[in-house]
Parts: sequence; structure tokens; C-alpha cells
Amino acid sequence: MQGRNGLPVCVKNMSDNGKEKEQVTLTIDGKEISVDKGTTVLDAATLMGIHIPTFCWHPKLDSIGACRMCLVDVEKFPKPAVACATEAMPGMIVRTDTDEIVKARRGVLEFMLLNHPLDCPTCDKGGECDLQDNVFHYGIDKSRQAFTRRRVIDDQTTDAFDDKRIGPEIIRNMNRCVTCYKCIRFNKEIAGEYDLGAYERGNHTVIDAAPGEQIDNFYSGNVVEICPVGALTNTDWRYKIRNWKAKQTLSLCSHDADGQNIMLWHDQRQLWRATSRRNDDIDDGWICNIARYGYQYINSPDRLKTPLIKKEGKQVPASWDEAISLISKRFKEIKDSKGSVCLAGLIGGNQSVETAYLFNKFFRNKLHTNNLDYRLEYIDLKGSDETEAYNCLYRAPFTIADLEQADVVFVFGSNFIKDHPAINLRLRKAYRKFGTKVYTANPVETKSADISLDEMIYSPDTETAFIAGLIHAIIDNKYYKNIDETKAAEVKTMLAPATLDEAARLCGIEQERIVNLAKVLSEANNPYILAGDYFVASAKRHRTANGMYDLANLLGIKDSNAIILASQANSMGADRVGVRPRLTENLKKTLIDKWGEELPESPGSNTSQILNNSLDEEIDGLFILGANPAMRYPDGPFVNSALDKLDFLVVADLFETATSAKADVVLPLAGWAEQSGAYVNVEGRYQKFEKAQDADKGIKSGIEIIHSIARAMDLSLNLDNAALMHETKDIVDAFEREARDEAKFFEVKQAQIPEHDNYPYRLLVGNDIHHFGYVTEHCPSLMRFTPEPYLEISPNLAEKLGIDEETLVRIESTTGKLVLKARFSEYFEGDVLFIPNNFSATEVTGLVSREGGGWVKIEKLDDK
Amino acid sequence: MLKTFWDIIKTTVIALPIGLYTTFKHVFKKPVTKKYPKAKSEMMPRYRGLHYLERYDDGTERCVCCGLCAAACPADAIYMEPDENEKGERFAKVYEINMIRCIFCGFCEEACPEEAIFLGHEFELANDNRDGFIYSKDDMLVEHPRKDRPYKTIYRRTRRHSM
Repeated sequence: MQGRNGLPVCVKNMSDNGKEKEQVTLTIDGKEISVDKGTTVLDAATLMGIHIPTFCWHPKLDSIGACRMCLVDVEKFPKPAVACATEAMPGMIVRTDTDEIVKARRGVLEFMLLNHPLDCPTCDKGGECDLQDNVFHYGIDKSRQAFTRRRVIDDQTTDAFDDKRIGPEIIRNMNRCVTCYKCIRFNKEIAGEYDLGAYERGNHTVIDAAPGEQIDNFYSGNVVEICPVGALTNTDWRYKIRNWKAKQTLSLCSHDADGQNIMLWHDQRQLWRATSRRNDDIDDGWICNIARYGYQYINSPDRLKTPLIKKEGKQVPASWDEAISLISKRFKEIKDSKGSVCLAGLIGGNQSVETAYLFNKFFRNKLHTNNLDYRLEYIDLKGSDETEAYNCLYRAPFTIADLEQADVVFVFGSNFIKDHPAINLRLRKAYRKFGTKVYTANPVETKSADISLDEMIYSPDTETAFIAGLIHAIIDNKYYKNIDETKAAEVKTMLAPATLDEAARLCGIEQERIVNLAKVLSEANNPYILAGDYFVASAKRHRTANGMYDLANLLGIKDSNAIILASQANSMGADRVGVRPRLTENLKKTLIDKWGEELPESPGSNTSQILNNSLDEEIDGLFILGANPAMRYPDGPFVNSALDKLDFLVVADLFETATSAKADVVLPLAGWAEQSGAYVNVEGRYQKFEKAQDADKGIKSGIEIIHSIARAMDLSLNLDNAALMHETKDIVDAFEREARDEAKFFEVKQAQIPEHDNYPYRLLVGNDIHHFGYVTEHCPSLMRFTPEPYLEISPNLAEKLGIDEETLVRIESTTGKLVLKARFSEYFEGDVLFIPNNFSATEVTGLVSREGGGWVKIEKLDDK
Repeated sequence: MLKTFWDIIKTTVIALPIGLYTTFKHVFKKPVTKKYPKAKSEMMPRYRGLHYLERYDDGTERCVCCGLCAAACPADAIYMEPDENEKGERFAKVYEINMIRCIFCGFCEEACPEEAIFLGHEFELANDNRDGFIYSKDDMLVEHPRKDRPYKTIYRRTRRHSM
């Protein structure tokens, strides 16, 4: 059922949390309705399809009754009541359409228009403005005002529209504001940010950033979307195109793995903006800035437009025919002379699941090689597949919305706001509304600190020790379920460090805190353990995954409640269609059924083996589709030399990257908005996105590229787009994970932490909060938030080394060195440093070794 | 039927002067037609001809590129691209009317909230190629020939927030 603003109806009540609620019956406009106790009159009316105009009401925010627009007549009430803040009571008789009510609403609107500048022609909200709609509906066309309008002038430089920039992206025009406080309430209630506030009062109320601050929080784009008038607008959509001129296309965020639903606004020329498309199962209607502004790379002028072929050491433009025939010729040569094991393929985690499947079919079924992978950012890919424990937890049947029913959530190794914006908001909602207890354990402090009851900071590389300590605490205090004492004692022998005391000392957390966490987890009815990017990127993630598996088994945690979260938009999709060297038995069977042929026998190599093998000249031909390992994979020099060693490298990408610079053939690739397809998000949810605009003439989609290479090699893939979509969907649906074996326990052994005498500081490399992967540096809006790479350093360490903010610092490790500007962190405390690897200008991965992560030393650069 | 002598007299001696009388009567009257390219007629006050874009008294463009004229246009003849000037104001970077499509209904003039566009009395739009019919801002933002006697009453002569 559709409610106002085209949003599905959402009734706010506690039955969200699975608890039965008492029913109340009331009459609205002569019709009876029964609703849950606690429902407001407005929600009840919306359920009946009765429209009540509002400004300050939002389905996901608490009602405050600030705008008085939703006045209704309630029998026996002395005067009109606000529907959004009046609870439905048994026997209530409500009228929403009496003459008196219409008069009252007209009065409210007239007061709102007192100071409204009526500059709709220049206002970006014109056409989708609640005030316009309501004034039009109630026909207020005469002003009785005799005095001049209020005008808030902050910025004397613009004499026309009184706009003020209160953030990198947000522009405020106070003249237009109707003081509904939605923006401030969103910031406080949903995002947990306090950078926006209302100053002064009454007629002089001003919505502004906190003194000396900017609205630059990670969810700040939402305040523009929920503003009922044009008081808050953004640079992205400033004076671009009228909203009724733009077409809308259903789409998804192409960056992180949560699968946030977005709506793309575009015309034939380009994409204009992205707004949220509420999906209560995933994002609740709030999207992060990366989803909102991260579409802009599609329209970047730096896009590759023609194929490039390397001739005499230089890449020169060539035609598609030339490029494809060269690729097919060289691939054929390599296949015939050295065998198909010398061919390999890597695909980026944000290619659609159809592309990933076709890529898999092309390599496995047509080229007969198992050398393919999608995991291009993480070290320690042992063997040709992850361990059993890791795979089991990685593919757990998790659902984001169920997080609301959790009573304890333990976030392990994840800066949630960065890695999983939608899950982060869901966690905040669970905490705020349902009192979920949140515990975190991270190598650095994170943004979730304000909602977590205990934020544990373990010293870097001691994840395994921490989890071993937790298991010790559970066994020592007999918190375990499902197993007997002898088994528990046996499990205890499989741990290293061998005692809780030792483990606590190693990871630098007091014993009591670990015991307390163990106690809380064991007492909870519905505990969750969520592991994120710090965990996944850690040096010994398999050992830690073993520990997490044991922990889940000891505490009898449900299968869906312990999960290692995937990181990219289609990581789970690529996993499900089998873009990895070793397949599960179930998937093997499905693929053999589909293809009618046996799969190749060779063991196959994953990303790190492919790169290693190319160094040893065992792999000669590599096809990289939409990925940039030279910039993102740890140990830059190693990746570069591996790519240099290759006989023949084909890179298909949107931009010229560090990887494409090494390629023999570079193919221009279409972005996600230029094709239709699907992503499988972190929950395993298959979601489609539609094509928004045509790609430039010289650009082809991944599917077209694979098809044309296959055709040129006389290997017909025999799949048109519709068949491909169906087949992919079948395979994704048929995916079955191997369930967790509750009687099984693995060894949890902390690896030796190498000595780093000369390199005392631990360097973490990852995404900047406003960047994701290597394409977001082509998004002007995101570049306004973080324009350049930096070294994030804790203030106390900086003081010790005499480093000021903005000073240049030299960072040196065993593998490389860099010079960057320092920036003080709000969160870091100890000897931990952070550098984002989203900027092609700095080769941060050069500082990180493949075995031990990044250990560096830093010094202040002389002022010269 | 035989033509009699009387018949012949009727059609020549009598009818001819009667007919010629009408002709000669008009020779001395003021002609109804105009010698068009040399002399042009005054249009009716509400005649809708070629579009003009208006300026404020201080010389700035009135058009803010709000898109209402394009929305009102039944022939979809108006194309525009807004942009931001150095003051942060909205203005039309591109404003084009396709005069072949335009049906001169005047809806754009009626829709305009800034009194920026109006239809003047000029009607000479002949051109020898189709591109010439796409009138851009440069073609329309000119001083119109009746500057002293405006085609349309403009109510607000200054900008809304002039300091």
C-alpha cells in the first residue's frame, strides 16, 4: 500500500519487534478501524487511505507536532488536535475534512507563508515541495501581510538568494525554512550526529551547523531529501534540471555490500542525482553519502572512450575489432601452446551478478581454467579456497531487518559506519528503539562508540588472541551451552594463548571486560556476532574465523546470527555464481547440470596465487574486468612486478588506472548505470537494477565484452541477455551453503606477531569514510568531503612526535615510503595510523606487506 | 439562342461602364493592402509574434531558468539548461526555442513567474535552413524594436532582493 510521498505505509509501533500488541478501535471520517495500541491517529488514517497533510512528520522519525499542519477534529476535544502526535484511543471519533479543520489548516499555511520568500522559480525543491503542494491544495493565493518579510542574511556576498553553505554539499536558505526540525531530528535520532542545531527561537529560529563546524557527516545527504521545502538543498542537484523533466530509474548503490536502494534521476544526457528508494528490509529510507553521490563517476569526463592497444611500449587508441581480435589471438596462442591453466581472470566486486556468472562460464566452461577470483583487496588468501569455518560464516543467512530483534550485538573488527552504512543505522535503531546492547571490539576506536556499552580496543594483529580469550572466559566460567565439560576441556586445549590471562595481556584488554562480554553473550536470547572489514583485512583472518566458529557453537548462536560481512556490492553474488577457484559440491552440481559438461580438473588459483604464479611465469594471460589490484591489493611493488611479468594482460575498466597502465589491451567498460542487472547483497538478497542511460558509443558492457571475445575465439556462449538473467537467477537461488556443524570445533591459535623494532606503528589501510574503492575519486561531491589523501594520526602520538595538523609527514615501511599531510583523528588513541587507499595519486599499498600488514615509522618532514 | 442587337448593346455599352465604374471608384480610394516589405502594418495589441527575453532595469537577465515555460509549452519547443553565476544565482546558460515547433500560443508568457519572456509583434521568421529556426538566448535577449512602447506591461521593474 502506498502512503504519502509515494512511500509505503509504515505504522510505527512496537509490534515491529515481534511482540503482540493490544488493539484499539476508533472511527475516522465515519469509518471504523482497529489498530495496534500506540498507533497515532495519522498512521491510522494513512492505513485507511485518508491523506492528512504534514510537514514535520516522517514515518521513521518520532512525532513532535511542530508544524501543526495535520490538525484534525476529535470529538470531545476542545480544539483541533495534531494527528501525528495524538495516540489512537478506543472510541475516538475523528473528522479530517470539516470546514473548521480546513480553515485551521489554511491558517497554519498562512502563517508559514508569512516569511516564505516565494522564490519557487529559483528553488531546487520547486516541483517536489510539500509547501507548494499544500498551498496549491488549500488555495492560499492572497497575502494579508502588511509588513516586510523576515530575511536571514548570513552571507553578504550573495545579494540574491541568501544561501549559506553549511557543509561541503549542503546549502541552507533560512528564508524558506518552515522549522519542522526534521533535519535535526534525523541527525540526532537516526545518524547519532549533533552537528546540526536550531539556534535562537520563535520567529528568529535559525537552523545552522554547530559553531565552527560543518555538516559533513556520513548521512548528511538525507537532510536535504527529507526537507519539506527548499531550505536545505545540495550542491549535487543545484540548478541542474527540474525534477519533472528528469526520468527516474530504480537502481542500487554500486559500492558497499548492503545493497541500499536508490532512485537515479536522469535524462538522455546524464545522471543528475540519486535519492533513496525506501526499502524497509535494508535501508529504512536512509542512504549514505556514498550511495547518494557515488553515482557521479559514471558522468566523469575521464572515462575511457576507446580501446587502447600497447604498441612499442605505448598505449595507442584502436578500434574494437582490432582489440578483440588481438585478445582472441593471444588467448588462443597461450591456450594452445601452454594450456588453459596459464590463463586467469579477475573480476571486480561491483560488476553485476550476470557479468560475474558469464565471466565464470567463459573461463570455466570455455577456456577450461579454474583460475578466477573476485577477492582483490585482501591478503592471506590461503590455498585455493578459504577454510571451512570462514566460508560457513561468510555465507551465513543473515538478514539486516532481524537485527532489530537482537538483544546483544557484538561487533567484531568493523568500523560499521564505513563498511556497512545500512547495517550501522539498523544497529543504531535497534539500540535506540529496542534497547539492544552493543559491544564492539576493534583495533581502533570507531564511530559506534556512542552506542556501545563497552568498546574494546585490542592491539593490532591480536584478533585471534582476543577471540581465544573470549572462548577461555566462556569455558572457565561455564557459560557454554550444548556441550559437556569434557568437550569444553578439549576445546580449551585447542586454544593459543593457553589461558585467559595470557590472551588478555596480549591483546591489551582487561580480563574482566572479556569475561563480562562472555557473560552478556551467554545470557542473551538472541545474540549477534558481526565481523567486518578490519577482521576480513587482518593478516590471519582464518585463525580468527575459526575462533568465531567455535564461539558461535559454544554459545549455541543461531546460524543466521554469526556472520562475516562481505564488503562489495556484488561480493556475495560473485561468490554464489562461483567466481572463485574452488566450488562447493552443490554449486558444482548445479553448474554441471546447466552446462552439460564436466568442470575443469585443475585446482585453480586465487588472486594471490595468480599474482604469485605470474611472477613465476606460470600464468601468461590475465583478464581483469573492472578491478584495480595495482592500487588496492596489498603490497603494491609485488603486484606491479607480477603484472609486468605477464605475457598478455587485458584490462577492462571505466578509467585509466594503475592496473590498466600495465595492460596490453585496455577496453572501455560500461558502468553499472549503463546496463541492467542485479546485485546480491550481504544478506544474499538478489536485487535488480535498471539501465538508466546509454553508454557512450565506444563503450561496451562487461557482458558484451565477454561475448565478443568468446565469439572471436569461436567459443559460443550461447546465452542471450534474457537467458543469462534467468540462468543467473536460477544459480543464485539454487545456492546452498554448508550449515554450521554444532559439534565441530577448530583450533584457534594466535600467530606469532612479528617483531617490528624499527617500524613501531601499525598502519591500517582502507576506505576513507567518504570514499569506496578506486572509482569514487571521480565523484566531485565526494571529493568535496575528502579531497586528498592524508595520514590519520592520534593527537597524543602526534604531540609526542611534534607533528601538527596539515604538516607533511614521511611514512616509511620495509617496502616503500610516502609523504602525506597529517590529520588528527577524532577516534584514534594509540600507535595506530590510517591512510585511505582510494586515491590513485598515492600508492599506499606499497607500504603494506602481504604477510604482516603494514608496520611503519614516521617522521616530520622539514619545513623545506 | 440568337443574340439580338439589343443584347449586344446591353453587354457592351451599358454593362462595361457599370463594371468599370467599380474599378475606377477604387483607383481614387486608399488601398487596403500594404506594400509589404516596404510598409508594415501595426499588429493588434495582443498579437503573439516572435519571443523576446526581458531584462531588469539594471540590465540583468530576468530569466532564472525555472522551466515553467518549457513545462507549459504544448509543442515542447523550449529547451533550457540552468547554471549558477558567480553570485550564486540561477540563470539560463542555454535557452532555446525551436520556432518551427512553436505554435505561438503564448503559454510561455503566461507561465513565466519572472515576467522574463513575452511574445512581440515581429513575425518574419523565414530562413533557408532548419538550424536557423532554433533561437538561442543571443537571438532573444536583444532590445526589441518597440523599447519605448513595450508590448506588455511589466509590473516589477527591479529584482526581488535588490539591496
